[in-house]
Amino acid sequence: MSPLLWFTTLAHSGLGHLMQNSKWGFAIVETFHLLALALLGGVVLIVDLRLLGIILKRESARVISRDLSRILLGSLVVMILSGIGLLSEEALKCYYSPAFRWKMALLAAAVAFYFTLHRRALLKTDTGTPTLWSRATAVISLTLWLGVGVAGRAIGLL
Amino acid sequence: MPLLQHVCQIFYDSRIGTAIRESDYAFSIIESVHVLGITLLFGTIALLDLRMLGLVLRPIPITRIARALFPLTWSGFAVMFASGFLLFWAEAAKNYSNPAFRAKLILLALVGINPLIFHTTIYRRVHEWETLAIAPWRARTAAIASLTLWSGVIIAGRAIAYF
Repeated sequence: MSPLLWFTTLAHSGLGHLMQNSKWGFAIVETFHLLALALLGGVVLIVDLRLLGIILKRESARVISRDLSRILLGSLVVMILSGIGLLSEEALKCYYSPAFRWKMALLAAAVAFYFTLHRRALLKTDTGTPTLWSRATAVISLTLWLGVGVAGRAIGLL
Repeated sequence: MPLLQHVCQIFYDSRIGTAIRESDYAFSIIESVHVLGITLLFGTIALLDLRMLGLVLRPIPITRIARALFPLTWSGFAVMFASGFLLFWAEAAKNYSNPAFRAKLILLALVGINPLIFHTTIYRRVHEWETLAIAPWRARTAAIASLTLWSGVIIAGRAIAYF
């Protein structure tokens, strides 16, 4: 199946019809998307500031990473599920939207980076001072996640 | 015309309000900054609340988390207030009668009272409980109130555009 077919199927699915025809559907789902965004953004910010050695310097980066990653994962699930709901309302518009394509690419990169190199940097830093590499990791992570947000906002504008 | 409505109309008709409203990008850009500010403000507040509820970062004393997050939360507040005020400036006359906007202002007032009560009561003795994995019930109540009210602010804020 080609991606275009997935998007068409989603647009014509029960969920798609519900979202397209309901007055408040989009607004309500979007609100959940926004609430989860707030939490996810907070987690990313705190973890990366720790990795940069700016806040919570004396605390174990390992503990911070373990606890906050659970919140990040939970928020990510809410964002993806609500995101599919939002997508079903305007699937074809998104399919052709460069902002949407950027967002998906950046999201994939941000998630992959977070659970691999970024995680390793956190574990290695633990209670020590961050190396130049872990600082770079934090900057890359912040940039990627910010990119996801900016591209996401742009879907509605372009 | 009620005084407040009159004031809103003056903002709405002013040169700056009109410029933001009529520009192609200004409103959207300010709005994006406002949304990013949510992360700073709500994200950091929520994490402190979750710590008091004993859901995250249990090994770290509450005061250390509070101290680390304090500047972030207040920068978030500054960003939200400044960008929010510009958005209001552009739409003041419409916002005046918008039920979601009114609900948001009430929720904002409540969400301001909550930390006032918290800091003048149970938080005064924080050194007695800062290392507990789960904070005392009064602090947990404040945490739940904070999470609920701030979520309400976000929900009402989002709804402004739909009325």
